[in-house]
Amino acid sequence: MDAVFKALADSSRRELLDRLRAENGQTLGELCERLATSGIGMSRQAVSKHLAILEEANLVATVKRGREKLHYLNPVPIHEIAERWIGKFEEARLQALSALKKNLEKRHE
Amino acid sequence: MIDIARFKPKTVYVIFIASTPEKIWAALTAPEFSTAYFFGSAIEIEPKQGGAFVMRKPDGTIDVSGAVVEWSPPRRLAVTWGVRWLPQMRDLPDCLVSYDIEQAGDSVRLTMTEAHQWDVPDALLSGGRAGWPAILSSLKSLLETGKPLAIKMQPPREMLEALAALKR
Repeated sequence: MDAVFKALADSSRRELLDRLRAENGQTLGELCERLATSGIGMSRQAVSKHLAILEEANLVATVKRGREKLHYLNPVPIHEIAERWIGKFEEARLQALSALKKNLEKRHE
Repeated sequence: MIDIARFKPKTVYVIFIASTPEKIWAALTAPEFSTAYFFGSAIEIEPKQGGAFVMRKPDGTIDVSGAVVEWSPPRRLAVTWGVRWLPQMRDLPDCLVSYDIEQAGDSVRLTMTEAHQWDVPDALLSGGRAGWPAILSSLKSLLETGKPLAIKMQPPREMLEALAALKR
């Protein structure tokens, strides 16, 4: 679990997880290209290093397909953390609070 | 024989379980385990390539059905997977679900891959993306502690909306 928190304690790595959440199964090249398009400066080596840390923490799973290596968001460790500290009884209440927050914030936009 | 190369992985989940490949294989293929971690559904599977595969709900109706594509105990199990319990999903092309089991130090790495043969919209993947982490965590808990996790879940609204849109 230490590895998960360490991996998440970096905004670049969270950005990469967000990118995979939006589009799962990207190659290193695709990730770099799309980051560059949206004006986020991250070298190929940096992206590759961050992906290795995320994979080590089991937050990213990879699949080899032909000559390509595809990267997938693996939320299972985060689910385990949620299961540990958020019981099944609290979940509904937390969802209600989170929906309320979203609605209130939307109104202020 | 189905052409596996046509299926592109869309969701890949990995979980580490303190157990043995043989026990994980048994948990994936035996109804007394699946009813504990797979929302109550009992697996019925013919132990050979081409064999029939069904997940049956407690009320006897079919949850998921398909065929065995690879039966290689205790390393790899792959089945075609058609969701039947939601009427709106019955006509969609089957996907391919595979489980890879590998020893990783004193633990075992279980990888679940959901692959699709068509350009499936993200909203339709949301059902699996909500369900699989719960199923896999519950399977892990069952094997490590003897108790599954009690998780209740409804299909995500975005998936139901996307299915309704497909019908039109």
